[in-house]
Amino acid sequence: MPELGRAALVVTLGLALYALVAGAWAASKRRRRLAQSAQNALLAAFATSLVAGAVLAVALVRRDYSFVYVWQFTSSELPMRYTISSFWGGQAGSLLFWLVLLCGYSAAAILLNRRSSRDLLAWTVPVLAAVAVFFSLLLVAVASPFVTQVAPLDGRGLNPSLQNPYMLVHPIFLYLGYVGLTVPFAFAMGALLSRRTDERWIVVTRRATLFAWTALGLGQLLGAKWAYEEVGWGGFYAWDPVENAALMPWLAATAYLHSVMVQEKRGMLRVWNVLLVTLAFALSIFGTFLTRSGILSSIHSFTQSSIGAWFLGFLALIVAGSLVLIFSRLTLLRARTRLESLVSREATFLYNNLLLVALCLTVLWGVVYPILSEAARGEGANLGAGYYNFFLRAFGLPLLLLMGIGPLVAWRRASLRSLGTTFLWPLGVGMVVGVALLAFGAGSSIPGLVAYTFSAFVLISIVLEFARGTRARKALGDPTWSHALARLIGRNRRRYGGYLVHASIVMLAIGIAGSSAYDSVGEGRVARGDTISVSSYRLQYRALEERVGPNATELRAVFGVERDGDELGTVAAGKNAYTAERQVSNEVGLRHDYLTAEDLFVIAERIYPDGSVYVRIFVKPLVNLLWLSGALFLLGALVALWPDAREQRRLAVRYASAGVPSRS
Amino acid sequence: MIALSVAAVLAVFLLYASIAGRGTPALAPSELDGRTDRVSLGGKVVGPIRGDQYVRGLRFRLRDISGGSPETVEVLYRGSVSDQFRLGRDVRVEGSLAKGNGVFVAVPGSLITKCPSKYAPEKS
Repeated sequence: MPELGRAALVVTLGLALYALVAGAWAASKRRRRLAQSAQNALLAAFATSLVAGAVLAVALVRRDYSFVYVWQFTSSELPMRYTISSFWGGQAGSLLFWLVLLCGYSAAAILLNRRSSRDLLAWTVPVLAAVAVFFSLLLVAVASPFVTQVAPLDGRGLNPSLQNPYMLVHPIFLYLGYVGLTVPFAFAMGALLSRRTDERWIVVTRRATLFAWTALGLGQLLGAKWAYEEVGWGGFYAWDPVENAALMPWLAATAYLHSVMVQEKRGMLRVWNVLLVTLAFALSIFGTFLTRSGILSSIHSFTQSSIGAWFLGFLALIVAGSLVLIFSRLTLLRARTRLESLVSREATFLYNNLLLVALCLTVLWGVVYPILSEAARGEGANLGAGYYNFFLRAFGLPLLLLMGIGPLVAWRRASLRSLGTTFLWPLGVGMVVGVALLAFGAGSSIPGLVAYTFSAFVLISIVLEFARGTRARKALGDPTWSHALARLIGRNRRRYGGYLVHASIVMLAIGIAGSSAYDSVGEGRVARGDTISVSSYRLQYRALEERVGPNATELRAVFGVERDGDELGTVAAGKNAYTAERQVSNEVGLRHDYLTAEDLFVIAERIYPDGSVYVRIFVKPLVNLLWLSGALFLLGALVALWPDAREQRRLAVRYASAGVPSRS
Repeated sequence: MIALSVAAVLAVFLLYASIAGRGTPALAPSELDGRTDRVSLGGKVVGPIRGDQYVRGLRFRLRDISGGSPETVEVLYRGSVSDQFRLGRDVRVEGSLAKGNGVFVAVPGSLITKCPSKYAPEKS
């Protein structure tokens, strides 16, 4: 079996190499048959990578400890679902997972575009193949998941913190996002290499980019939820380098998703867009480098490993190669139009892009600061959460505001008079909400107050957009309001899907501001029968319970919860002692209030032999909006992603008339 | 226009850099060498671990992670402690060395215990 896996990886490497060399040759010499052969090689590489993946999956399911990888990350007591998730739980397996996804994305890109965009695909295939060569080379030569040994009796088990349902899906989404960013990058490079520098590569990759971006966003939110429930320090994001590693490409991709609209509509920002897509892809590789190289001390990883050098080399190659390529095509990328006014849709897109990229780069600066400081002054230094929070406010709050303004400003040139009428209501409501919140005492946190005022402004402008559009549809003869709304969204999926995503980001902002700026904390040691109060909650320590689970002994302190005299049931917090892994993990007690989106968050920090408990209790208002925003985000993304036959027809006509690629 | 916006963004950045300075120095126990300003200290936990983390404070010693120096520093810490905290784990605390007794007094709640990496090569 391991031989089959190893062989499949070697064949994948060979096929990818062939697709790279033959594809590049065919594209430069315009050999159609050879180009097709290169495409087929990449399709075959998907099949062989699947075989390699299947071998590892079967070994995991059978708990075949003769595979070193299986022995490292599973044990006989580990539940089956976590055994399967060990596939991407370790170094070699996660690289294999990456390769399978990459080949899958490549195959999909080829199959979807081989008829309609043959010329564009000619140079895209070798770029995709080059990335596949890198990952299959790593798997063959540096980190093989198919190393064998004499099978020990039992495995070493999975880190208990990772034994959580969110950890089953969080990595899948992240990898879908990371790897998916390869597709727009490859098409951008393919377009430059083939000198097809019109908007086609953007249109062709719109869905792939949106899909990857959605997956990356959801992946991070799931990770935050995991951190909130499992790591249990009361927060959900700690600006850890590894968390930032996923945030940076997401921010770059967000900027890209917005700026391509300017290129599609107005033919501007063409150099900027290829730079952004390169940045997003390079950051996704950089993120992978960060998590694996051990160069930064992070709570996630800090061990030296040789694989870091490989990633750094690959990263340098990508950045240098794409910059040289972009520079050599500058004349082709020159914009056909200029910015006409500072008050126009394209100008607000530009502001949005500057802020997003600025935020992304400040995060990057914070991440690499310790390395640079070490190199420059011989003394390491860290930038703390204060640094990140400052810039999140400095750039994030204007971004929030722009989200309400941008979509309502006209393309090319907007008159101040029309702006006045458009923003009368949102502005008024925003003001009223701000003043009302101030009256209710929300002034305890200025950034929180500003965030809420801006949120109200954005939400109202979005609601008004829906209302105006629906009313117009109704006036045009749609029979009912719901019908009119459905038609409105159905006919402008990108626009209204985008609004839904915006609304979800506002919810996210409200949740973040609520839980971080307006939370309350209490702690203390309680004996049985004692009570402890935090905010409007009163908790009484009732009992200490012990249970033996399948792979852990569970100890729980049970608290009765009261709020303003109302009985609200019980909440249990405690610890799990994992047998095979010989580790203890905190299990926090959570009580969600679905009406107010507030959480009661209880950590049993220490359980004393006499049965008393040291607890730390958080009351986090509105924190559940964070998780709810994920659902709205997904809905909005799905609306924007959904296949649209009318749009396809329109594009087909546009490209039929676009003619042959320009040559220079 | 673009130049102006970029300048604005840069100005915000510089403003911050000039106010908040250059970040907290990150040192290993052997590099501490008697300096008493606020630093972030990273090291491996060596025993004995005494006291409790709430009232009088937890006391333990830190050694260089690299193992290059036999020097250790005693740390006094109050606040929450992660599940992963135990002898032999790599941790990071913020704080400063007290003058006189050589005890590193950590800022309450600043202890970060690093997870054993899932991508780490095995050292057994």
